[in-house]
Amino acid sequence: MVPSPLQTNDGHSLDVAFRCDYAEVRLALEAITSFLRLHRLTDDEVMGCELALAEGCNNAVRYTDAAGREERVRVRVLCTDARVTFWIHDHTPGFEWPAEVSLPEGDSENGRGLFLMTSLMEEVHYFRGRHENILYLVRTRGAPAGSERSDRVESADELRRRISENDQIITDMAEELSFCYESLAAIFRHSADQGNGSTKADFARRLLIDLIQIIAADWYVLRLLPESGGVLNFLVASETFFSDQPINFPKAGGTNNSVEVEAAIVRQNVWFDQHRPLLLEDPLGRIKPGASGVVHPIFFGERLMGTLVLGRNLNRIPFTAGQLNVVGTFSDFLAIQFVNAEIQETLIHSKLNERELDIARGIQQSLILRELPSAHGIELIGHCESARQVGGDFYDVIECGGGQLLLVIADVMGKGVPAAMFAAILRSLFRAMPRGEVRPSQLLIQANRLLYRDLSAVDMFITVQVLHVDGVTRRLRVANAGHCPALVAAGGSALAQALAPEGLPLGVLEDAEYSDQEATLTPGARLLAYTDGLVETRNPAGDLFGYERLGEWLATKTRNGSSVQSMKQELIAELTRFQRSDVLQDDQTFLILAG
Amino acid sequence: MKVQHTDETVEVYDLGGLDASNSVQFRDQVRASMKASERFIEIDLSATTFLDSNGLGALIALHKTTCSRNGLVRLVNPTPPIQQILELTRMHRIFEVVKR
Repeated sequence: MVPSPLQTNDGHSLDVAFRCDYAEVRLALEAITSFLRLHRLTDDEVMGCELALAEGCNNAVRYTDAAGREERVRVRVLCTDARVTFWIHDHTPGFEWPAEVSLPEGDSENGRGLFLMTSLMEEVHYFRGRHENILYLVRTRGAPAGSERSDRVESADELRRRISENDQIITDMAEELSFCYESLAAIFRHSADQGNGSTKADFARRLLIDLIQIIAADWYVLRLLPESGGVLNFLVASETFFSDQPINFPKAGGTNNSVEVEAAIVRQNVWFDQHRPLLLEDPLGRIKPGASGVVHPIFFGERLMGTLVLGRNLNRIPFTAGQLNVVGTFSDFLAIQFVNAEIQETLIHSKLNERELDIARGIQQSLILRELPSAHGIELIGHCESARQVGGDFYDVIECGGGQLLLVIADVMGKGVPAAMFAAILRSLFRAMPRGEVRPSQLLIQANRLLYRDLSAVDMFITVQVLHVDGVTRRLRVANAGHCPALVAAGGSALAQALAPEGLPLGVLEDAEYSDQEATLTPGARLLAYTDGLVETRNPAGDLFGYERLGEWLATKTRNGSSVQSMKQELIAELTRFQRSDVLQDDQTFLILAG
Repeated sequence: MKVQHTDETVEVYDLGGLDASNSVQFRDQVRASMKASERFIEIDLSATTFLDSNGLGALIALHKTTCSRNGLVRLVNPTPPIQQILELTRMHRIFEVVKR
C-alpha cells in the first residue's frame, strides 16, 4: 500500500498529498508544521498557518463528493524569508467565496472556518476550476531569526559566479533542446542579443515572435511581476491594442477577473477556451473575447518573474503538450536572461562605485605634500590616513616668504568624490590667496564666501583650522571654522593649551565672521593640529580617546623634547594601542610642529 | 480525555487537540457522561494544543446543552495560543474562561 500522506520536499517547497480523511489531514498538518519550523517560523506563525490550513483541508475533505473522494487533496507549501504561501487543491464541486467574510451568530455551531482563514492569513483567494479548485493562502513572516539579511550587497565575484552558473544552465538547456525542438536556432540567435545593449522589451519581442511562429499561436502578451509583487506590469505584446496598464492583484477576499493574475497567484498554467471563456472584465477578454490559449507563469527558480499569455483567435484547436513544452523552455530562457541583465546592471554599478573611489583616492593622494617646508628652525611633520572609505581630510603647509608659514588642516564632511573635490578646491583657494602678513580669520571669511553657495547646494560643509606661523618672531595666529582646537604645549609646561577661537564651519552661513587668537611659540614648544578622527577613537569599552588624553600626551612628549618624527610614530602607535586594533575606525590626520 | 463528576458539574480534562477528526465524538461523549443532575461543564484546556472551527462548534453544542439545563460551560486554563483563538472568534463572550 502506498504510504499516505505522500511528501516531496525540495528545501524551499513541500508537496503533501493525502486521502480524503480527517485523520490524514492531521498527519499532513504535522508534516507541514515540521517543515515550517525547519524554516524558522515563530510558534505564533506556525500556529496561525496550522489553523488556517486545517480549516482549508477539512473543507476539502468534508465537501468532496463520491467522484472526488478517489482523488487526493494536495497541499503545496513555499517558504521564503518574506512569506509562506500555501496552495490547497481540492476536488469538491466548489463554492462561491462570500463577498464579505464575517463571524456567524454567537451560538452558531458552524461557519467560523473562512473567518479564521482570512483572520490568520494576509491573503486568501479561492479559484474554482472544472476539475479542481485551489485555495491560495499567504502569510507574511516577521524578521527571520538569525538569518542573513536578504538585501545584502553581493560581491563582484559572487555576481560573476552567478552569471557563469546561469550561462551554464543556458548551455545545458540549449543542448537538451537540440534533440527535440526547432526552437534551438531561435534560442541561439537571441542568446547573444541581450548582451548587445538591446532593451528587455526588444529582446523579449524578438524571442516571442519566433515562439508564436514555432507553436502556431496568433498573439502573445508578456507582463512582469516587480519584486514587491502585487501587480503585473506590461512589458510587451504582439499587438498594439493590448492594454499596457498594470493589473493589480485583488485585495484579500476581493474578486479577480484576470487569468494572468490567476496564473501568477496559483503559479500554474491557466487555460482559457470555449469551456472557460475569458471574462469581459478581464483586460484580455476585452481585446480577445472568444480566444483560446494559456497563461504561463515565468519562473527563475522559485522566483515568479511574470506571466506569458499565448493565444489563438476563434475556433482554433488548443496547444499540444509538445507546444507547451516549447513555451516552458522559452519562458525559462527569458527568465534567465532577465536575471542576467539584472546582475549585469548590479555589476556595472559596483564597478562605477569602485571607479569613483579610485578617482577620489587619487585626488586625496595628490593633495598630500611629500615634503613639508621648514622655516627658521621650525620643524613640521604631517600624517593623513583614511579609514575604510576615501575621506575629505587634508592638511597643507604654504610658504609665505620671510620665514612665515601658513598651516591648514581641514575635514570636508562627506565621503567619496564630492568630498575629495571640495578638499582640492579649498586647498587651491588658500594657495591662491595673498601671501605675506596674512590674517587667518580674513582667509576663512574669503574662503567661506567663495564656497558657501556650492557647499550649501549639496548640503556639505567643511571644518578648517588655519594657523599662521612667523618663524622669526615665533608668533602664532590661529583662526578656526568649527574645527577641533589645535593644542600647543610650551617647553616646560605640564599642560597643553587649546587654541580654539570660535567660528562656524565653511558653508553654513554666507557672512560668517571669524577671529584670530594669538600665541607665542616658546623654545621647545610643540603644536598639534588634527581632525576629529583622533579624539573620537574609541577603545573596546567604548571610551573616547578624547581631548584630555591627547593634551596630556602632547605635554609629555614636549617635556621629553621628542622629535616630530618620533612623535608622529608614537601618536599612531598610541592610538592603535588605545583602540586595541590596528584597523582604523576613522580617518586620522594631524600636523605636528616643533618650535 | 478523562471525565469526573463533582456536585452539579462534569469536569473534562486531559484533552489533546480538538478538531474535525474528533470533535463530534468529543461532543457526544461529554453529553453522554452528563448525569441528569449536572448542569455545568468544566473543560480543562491546559493540555489542549489545537482547536479549530470544528472544535469550537463542539464547545458551542455543549454550551447549548448546559443552557437548556440553566447551566454553563467553563473553559479552564487555556494555553496562550488557544486563548488567542477564543478571543479571535469572540468565544470568550460566550464561555466563562477562567485561570486557576
